Amino acid sequence: MALRDQFPILQREVNGHPLVYLDNAATTQKPQVVIDAMNAYYSESNANVHRAVHTLAGEATEGYESCRTKLKKRFNASKAIITSGTTEAINLVAHAWGRANLEKGDAIILTEMEHHSDIVPWQMLAEERGIELRYVPVTPHFTLDMDAFSHALEGAKLVCVVHTSNVLGVRNPLEEIIEASHKAGAKVLIDAAQGVPHSTVDFTRFGADFMAFSAHKMCGPTGIGALLVQPDAFEEMQPFMGGGDMIETVTTQGSTYQTNEHKFEAGTPRIAEAIGWSAALDWMETFDLDAEHTRLVNIASWVAEELRSMGMSVYGRHGEDDAAVVSFLHPTINSEDMAHLLDARGYAVRTGHHCAQPLLHRLGISGTVRASFYVYNTRQEAEGLVGELREIVEKFA
Amino acid sequence: MTYPEALQELVEEFQDVPDKRERLEMLFELAEEVLELPTEEWSDATRVRGCQSEAHVRVSIEDGLVNFLGAADAMVVQGLMGVLAIALHGLTPAQAVLIPVDFAEEMGLTNTLTPSRSNGFRNMYDKVMGEIRSGME
Repeated sequence: MALRDQFPILQREVNGHPLVYLDNAATTQKPQVVIDAMNAYYSESNANVHRAVHTLAGEATEGYESCRTKLKKRFNASKAIITSGTTEAINLVAHAWGRANLEKGDAIILTEMEHHSDIVPWQMLAEERGIELRYVPVTPHFTLDMDAFSHALEGAKLVCVVHTSNVLGVRNPLEEIIEASHKAGAKVLIDAAQGVPHSTVDFTRFGADFMAFSAHKMCGPTGIGALLVQPDAFEEMQPFMGGGDMIETVTTQGSTYQTNEHKFEAGTPRIAEAIGWSAALDWMETFDLDAEHTRLVNIASWVAEELRSMGMSVYGRHGEDDAAVVSFLHPTINSEDMAHLLDARGYAVRTGHHCAQPLLHRLGISGTVRASFYVYNTRQEAEGLVGELREIVEKFA
Repeated sequence: MTYPEALQELVEEFQDVPDKRERLEMLFELAEEVLELPTEEWSDATRVRGCQSEAHVRVSIEDGLVNFLGAADAMVVQGLMGVLAIALHGLTPAQAVLIPVDFAEEMGLTNTLTPSRSNGFRNMYDKVMGEIRSGME
């Protein structure tokens, strides 16, 4: 079956027109195998994990842990903590590593390109602990100011940087950042929410200490994500949430904790979601992601050029390693109006600040329209989008 | 309840148009129906919070009737202000607060069930009705 045909939602109509889903940087659609896997779990194997000896508990445990096994294999990681998503993964680093290893006067480096989920947890920790936050500016070319980064590194304990911007689609020079940070004695956290759906990452070779991402941006379910951690950083993390499943023993005098990833997964975990993600990870192996990425970036680059020719401002550069994201603004047509007019013809795009207000502030704008492409999108859909936008500009500009 | 006559006519007019693009174009034309709140009078007090675009409203009671001014960056939002202005025209505060939020949804324009970041209309409706209620106290 053709890749696109495996997504039942793409068969539906919106406002009397075939759905053209271009909000993939927000969340991706799910192939039938993912939906089936979650249905099968609830229909046939629903039970809690890690505890009981009965058959269903064994099946549920195997299903849940298979997700972790596949994550470790796909990303060549020795530790994969399952979280509710990128946001919880970053908060986990702040609480479990940050609180145990950072103190008053220490510095954390962030960038102006970060999603709010990689800013706010650090602002909260900084306020609590008296930690200094240093922000690396974004240049007019939509890249990080690497000179400013080098200067900011002096004395920093942690560098938090987004793999690929959810607004610009720009992929940052992560290898250079990781190497320089480690030389300066700083640990590195990568927010890879927009990165790993578009490229495979060898986490061990990559060398970042922490990497956070979500399932739902790579055809998996919502409500689940992961934090990959290098072994030495893992040993420096203290438990954050207490409860069942994360303990070894509990007495009235105190508790001892698990030594593996379960130490950071208190309570009944996201079993159905893990099974769904496991199916999505298998599904991602059925096609050539690099080839798809090249195809999509070419489409995005073409769309960007067409929009510029219509007088739109396009924010991004669409290099070969960047994501297939086109953020744009028309000089006179309001972005919210644009999105409503597109929705009326079945096109789903995003508008607003995309949870990256510091970046938009740097760009001198309050929001953009964003079309983001994923593996099931076609050139024909992109051509349709450009045609609709041309019509909108002719009529409403 | 039934809507005021002018609003009822608008709702039916929109319901007769199956194409959403056409309905949006009709809505854009209604943007002129709201008395404009000049940008120099925009403030935190007039801002409709939670809107993606800038949207400002001011409500006062004059000669016992609701007086509504508004302005927004987005034609969609200002058009909805125009609909609300038509709905509120000539009403006392006691009559105005009885207008249910459902009309925008019945016109096939926007979901009105829950206020959220993407639902400026609901936030605007709640602010306007809140200010009318305050004016009644």
